[in-house]
Amino acid sequence: MQNKLITQENLKALVNELAASNDVFAPKRENENTVSFGKINSFDEYVPGVLLTNTTVKDKVYLQSEQLFQYELKKDTVEFKEKAPGKEAVIFGGRPCDARGFDVIDKLFNWSGYEDGPYTGGRKNTTIITVSCEKPELTCFCTSFAGGSPADGKGSDILLTPVSGKFLAEVLTERGEKLAAKYSKYFTDASDAETAAKAEFAKAAETKITKKLDLAAVKKNLDSSFDSPYWDTVHLPCVKCGACTYVCPTCYCFDITEKKFGYLNGERNRTWDSCMSEMFTKMAGGHNPRTDTKRRFRQRFMHKFRYHVDNFKEELCTGCGRCIRRCPVGIDIRKVVEEAK
Amino acid sequence: MSNIYIPHKARIASIKQETADIKSFQFELLDSEVRKNFKWKSGQFLILSVFGVGEATFTFANPQTRAEYVECSIKKTGLVTEALHDLEVGDIVALRGPYGNWFPFEKFKGQNLLFVGGGIGIAAIRSPIEYSLDTRNDFKDITILYGGRSPLDICYFDKFDEWQGKKANLVLTADKGSEGWKHKVGFVPAVLKEMKPSRDNCTVITCGPPIMIKFVLKELTDLGFAPEQIVTTLEMKMKCGLGKCGRCNIQQLYVCKDGPVFDYAEIKKLPDEF
Repeated sequence: MQNKLITQENLKALVNELAASNDVFAPKRENENTVSFGKINSFDEYVPGVLLTNTTVKDKVYLQSEQLFQYELKKDTVEFKEKAPGKEAVIFGGRPCDARGFDVIDKLFNWSGYEDGPYTGGRKNTTIITVSCEKPELTCFCTSFAGGSPADGKGSDILLTPVSGKFLAEVLTERGEKLAAKYSKYFTDASDAETAAKAEFAKAAETKITKKLDLAAVKKNLDSSFDSPYWDTVHLPCVKCGACTYVCPTCYCFDITEKKFGYLNGERNRTWDSCMSEMFTKMAGGHNPRTDTKRRFRQRFMHKFRYHVDNFKEELCTGCGRCIRRCPVGIDIRKVVEEAK
Repeated sequence: MSNIYIPHKARIASIKQETADIKSFQFELLDSEVRKNFKWKSGQFLILSVFGVGEATFTFANPQTRAEYVECSIKKTGLVTEALHDLEVGDIVALRGPYGNWFPFEKFKGQNLLFVGGGIGIAAIRSPIEYSLDTRNDFKDITILYGGRSPLDICYFDKFDEWQGKKANLVLTADKGSEGWKHKVGFVPAVLKEMKPSRDNCTVITCGPPIMIKFVLKELTDLGFAPEQIVTTLEMKMKCGLGKCGRCNIQQLYVCKDGPVFDYAEIKKLPDEF
């Protein structure tokens, strides 16, 4: 689809109209110091200037805890009930690294011959309108990844980039086209000059990113360092809080648990889990292949930059840098994987 | 949209107390369509639901050639298995699967088969044992070595008539003997060493506690077996069985989808801790 243009006023009107009939999630002020993705009822609740929200937007599709089904035991059988599909949702104002996170975990939830309905159902219901980043921060490293950029559209349905006081709207998917067609009154066609201005914007934003990982070298180092004494010490500052895994747009590991209501009713739930927890791999009978922090810490980084690359040909990371900012002891994922040897 | 987490309904058709802490269950799938289409191969596993408690992973104890019921032999070890042991015939459970890979029997054709099982690991090799007995003409000699901590920890006494005699040769051992125990006494690897199986044209299928596997592998290597001749099934904590929940990986391999059956050549490439 041809690139579109949308003015500030029209964007506001669009978001307001969307919010009237859909769940619209956007960066929203939770309290004085915290902006997270929350449901907004009008554009005025949206906090536009924020680069990285407190938590990832992943949880608006891949819920932190969700019901897989309910059951009711009957005489000689059991009945299952699935929850009704959610409302159409729009994620507005996320960043390219957030949107790219969906692209990464979409593949996981569709691989191995099984489509994960509880995830993909919500995903297909969600339109993602992303805003390019003008001023990346010191913890940003999205340009390390193939095609990664503060103005990259991977995972987004529509990418908005500020251009001469308006937004260039790149409509990238069928879902995006549907939305743009439905609300065509707010959009005008963009000129070549405006499209070119976006390229300039991207170039300028990319130069502000100070850290770029050499991922081929990282992979090579991780491939040969599993038994290295490097891991004996690098994990020592870690306090095993698991915050890194909870704020990550690509961490997907989960637990399946059961909640019982009386003797006959209950529900099965899926909840985010963390490889940093001791219980993560502890088996019935007590055997645990990842007995200590060293092994769990190594698993986290190896998974992201080695194992996942072996299986999916891309890293399990989008360079958002949230784990670096949230870590209470200042562990920097870039440093950990770059220095592994 | 497909909810791959909804299991098939099943009813407990029979329960047999094997030892003080092991019971064998037969499950009957309730839906006749599901029952007709539910097919597995020796080595694969299933995830069983006990309502009110949760799910746990078990191997199929019976082979596809004896598929009237789904059978599992289950040791009381954790929350789910404890709850299972409290259930009765007629109680409703559910299961999903089959998941994972299977023993590559087509590769074993024309060979001698040696099964080495220890403890509850016997549940995982009962299925390939019975499969090979049912396709007996495909193989030469079949030998089964099975050990438990004590004579009281040995399961499947009712199967041994078939496991020894014309079709196969069975060697039983207990780590510690007791009065009336007419079989071997000693750890499985020690008995294996004594048996001196020939490596020629032989495949070994083994499953048991990690410490047993470790020494079985050592004895077999000493006897000249190549890593490719030894096949085992690995276990790891699993939640989904579908390659998604992210915890059963050993490096880039997921035990649930790339395993659970691996040969020793593949295992040797993996780090020691497994």
